[in-house]
Amino acid sequence: MLTIRNISSLVIDNLCDEPCEEDIAITMFYYDFRDQQVQTPTNIIGAILKQLVVRGEVLEHVRKAFQKAKREVGGRGLRLPDMIQMLKQALAKLPRVFICIDALDECIPKHLLELLGSLKDILQELPRTRIYLTGRPQVGGEIKRHFTNCVAIPISPKTQDVRRYLEKKLEMDPQRVAMSDSLRRDIMRIIPERISEM
Amino acid sequence: MSCTSYRNWIGNGNVDCNNVINSHNNSITVNIADENPELMRWLSPLDPRGRHQDVRTDRADGVGNWLLKTKEFREWRSNEGGEDKGVLFCYGNPGVGKTYLR
Repeated sequence: MLTIRNISSLVIDNLCDEPCEEDIAITMFYYDFRDQQVQTPTNIIGAILKQLVVRGEVLEHVRKAFQKAKREVGGRGLRLPDMIQMLKQALAKLPRVFICIDALDECIPKHLLELLGSLKDILQELPRTRIYLTGRPQVGGEIKRHFTNCVAIPISPKTQDVRRYLEKKLEMDPQRVAMSDSLRRDIMRIIPERISEM
Repeated sequence: MSCTSYRNWIGNGNVDCNNVINSHNNSITVNIADENPELMRWLSPLDPRGRHQDVRTDRADGVGNWLLKTKEFREWRSNEGGEDKGVLFCYGNPGVGKTYLR
């Protein structure tokens, strides 16, 4: 399928692959409505931090916090403000970090507000952080409210995208016998036209 | 550390992070995730890298390349837009063209 999720993976791969002058680190999270209960803001900020812990300079302070928590009441869990604080410490140690979060509309509204509030807080303190977000147009209002200067780009499939997608699908088709040159030509002509009309 | 090491990390769907560690800091040759499973669980039960691998495998080459060429994306990526332009929001319906493409 041709989805925004695919676009997110493209953006993440581009951040990772394209040479850059600076030392950058890329973190990501893909929301999934099937896992709403586990996808709390605390767990998501934690998952972002987890991806930065592989950097030696970040590991040390996180490890200290962990050991401290372990001594207290046999391993206390973290609260959102603690997690945000730890992530801020990590971000402050790294030159530039990208935080990519896909499909914000798949998280429950209460969590969405908490997460956006946390990201806003982080960005205010560490303005070099780059944040990439995706979602249905409906979440745009909340995003704009939290980040007044955010740059919004509408995503709709371009005819070229549809063509590329179809080419891949036809190439992978397990029932090639049913395919003829004229059918292939029709598919490649009609479907992209219809979709770009949508 | 260069971007290359992250490419290794994501590129092969390696959840172990060995590549990253070895490439940027020779003094830490241990595998952080394996060495600290308790710490990693304490931070979060979620592990998003596996999903990234699934999504990118599903992506057809070249799809969405137009976005990477837009001025908005370039500026956001390179920080040229300034520090107040820290957030890029891409919106749309999740399965565009869903009716036709499955």
